[in-house]
Amino acid sequence: MTNTSAAAAPTVPGWRGSSPRTQILVLTTRSLRAVVQDPRLIVFSLVQPLVMLLLFSQIFSSVANTPGFPAGVGYIDFLMPAILVNTAMQAALQSGVGLINDMRNGVVARFRSLPIRMGSVLVARSLSDLVRTALQLLAMLVFATLLFGFSPAGGAAGVIATLALALVVSWGLGWLFLAIAAWLRNAEVMQMVGFVAMFPLMFASSAYVPVANLPGWLRAVATVNPVSHAVDAARALTLAQPGAGGATTAIGVSLAIAAVGAGLAVRGFRRPLPR
Amino acid sequence: MTETMIEVAGLGRTFGALRALDDVTLTVPKGTVLGLLGHNGAGKTTLVNVLTTLLPPTEGRASVAGFDVVRQAHQVRGRIGLTGQFAAVDEQLSGTDNLVLIARLLGASGRQARARAAELLDAFELTGTGRRPARTYSGGMRRRLDLAASLVGRPDVIFLDEPTTGLDPTSRMTMWRIVAKLVDDGTTVLLTTQYLDEADRLADSIAVLSGGRVVASGTAADLKAEVGQRTVSVTLAEPDDAVRAVTALQRAGLHPVPDPAGRALTTPVTASRELAVVVRALDEVGVDVAELAFSEPTLDDVYLALAHHGASTPTAA
Repeated sequence: MTNTSAAAAPTVPGWRGSSPRTQILVLTTRSLRAVVQDPRLIVFSLVQPLVMLLLFSQIFSSVANTPGFPAGVGYIDFLMPAILVNTAMQAALQSGVGLINDMRNGVVARFRSLPIRMGSVLVARSLSDLVRTALQLLAMLVFATLLFGFSPAGGAAGVIATLALALVVSWGLGWLFLAIAAWLRNAEVMQMVGFVAMFPLMFASSAYVPVANLPGWLRAVATVNPVSHAVDAARALTLAQPGAGGATTAIGVSLAIAAVGAGLAVRGFRRPLPR
Repeated sequence: MTETMIEVAGLGRTFGALRALDDVTLTVPKGTVLGLLGHNGAGKTTLVNVLTTLLPPTEGRASVAGFDVVRQAHQVRGRIGLTGQFAAVDEQLSGTDNLVLIARLLGASGRQARARAAELLDAFELTGTGRRPARTYSGGMRRRLDLAASLVGRPDVIFLDEPTTGLDPTSRMTMWRIVAKLVDDGTTVLLTTQYLDEADRLADSIAVLSGGRVVASGTAADLKAEVGQRTVSVTLAEPDDAVRAVTALQRAGLHPVPDPAGRALTTPVTASRELAVVVRALDEVGVDVAELAFSEPTLDDVYLALAHHGASTPTAA
């Protein structure tokens, strides 16, 4: 303990704060570092969508022979856009779980006593999760192309447009889950809410089976389900079929969700931590 | 030049029906340590949370480093460091990365941040562990990292909320040394503790908090003089002498209390010179003494006298 004077040294002026831009940059880098240092985060987040891809492409492949199915389209090409949207939605849920983990970890407690904006913490979380989701979806596309013969009519341009759409959906929904996380502050309850909300939304939609093939009541649900719109638009882009205009609606809805979610998230996040 | 670094006036905070803080008024001059003493639920952490802008007060006002904790919260946060009861560090990040992160958020450049992190790790005896994730640290190391984290911006005022609770004796001593050094360097410290020796050792002045109110304040010596008692305790060589010893001391004008076991007795005295009175009185009647001890009042006496029945006791000093 010869050197503790370095700890205080009032002769050196202290740092008093940084711009919101710096805050967001530094905090985003911090979250992304965790991904680089522990790539298992990406690897494990790929397991579930890959298993779904494998199972569904085998179980439902006969769907391609049913009357409602678009002619001349392989099931994998039909399925992949839905899997991308689904994975993007799951990633949005994980964004909320990540925020709760930060609150438990103690790092949020530290941030609160620093001269930084709480909004910066949330924006950084949202941005870093967007990057992480992009990596995850890209990895999915590589697997699908190499192992499952994914080769849609829309070509690279269609796939990139689909990827972009999935990311917008993920980002918008991510804010909703960040808002839920900021108010709930409990990872288990959060997972539960996510599970209960996600499963019906995903399955009662056009994701895995053409809506025309669903029983009547489910068809009614699937028709109004926003996930159907996102999946339909993604599918139209991937398969170069009409209906890509639905992407505008999907983006509009995602932005609206983002705006409401962000407002609620900041309000919820500013509330004092317990203890 | 006694500049005030913490100024609190008529501060109150309620949680529903609970009054966690009630009309708290205190000042802390620059470069001094205020020890906030009180048992669990006395309002110590609530006061720290209000002063560190984490919790708005419901009445009264408070300023830290010259800035109002409500209206100028951002400026206050730029000038304080907080070390809470639970280490607020990112467990996934290494010690170095934790400190660099905070320095960058405070506005340091990458290079300045790395230099500051290295400096603090060195000062806090964490150099060899700077690259390990904080989750692998021991409790004492984590607390030191936490304290280092709150010092990154060279704050004017440091808040330490029970900084040594749950630490082993060695880590406590290290912590005390660090705090003492900080104060030497001109930092103002507000420290909450349940440990009386800690307050006695580190604090320039002490405020005893009970039920959200300041029930006593002053220096440790003031408080002891106010409440505590000096005593002489005598252990007799022969248990049979107890009665004679008590009578002799009573004749000398003292009020001895015999120990139920018979071999020992204690008597309150007003000053240490009365030790001689005790010795003479016992010598005159030929009582052999095995052991003789004079004890100053401790903060324990103060604490027990004030913290539990304090609500009606007027503020001392």
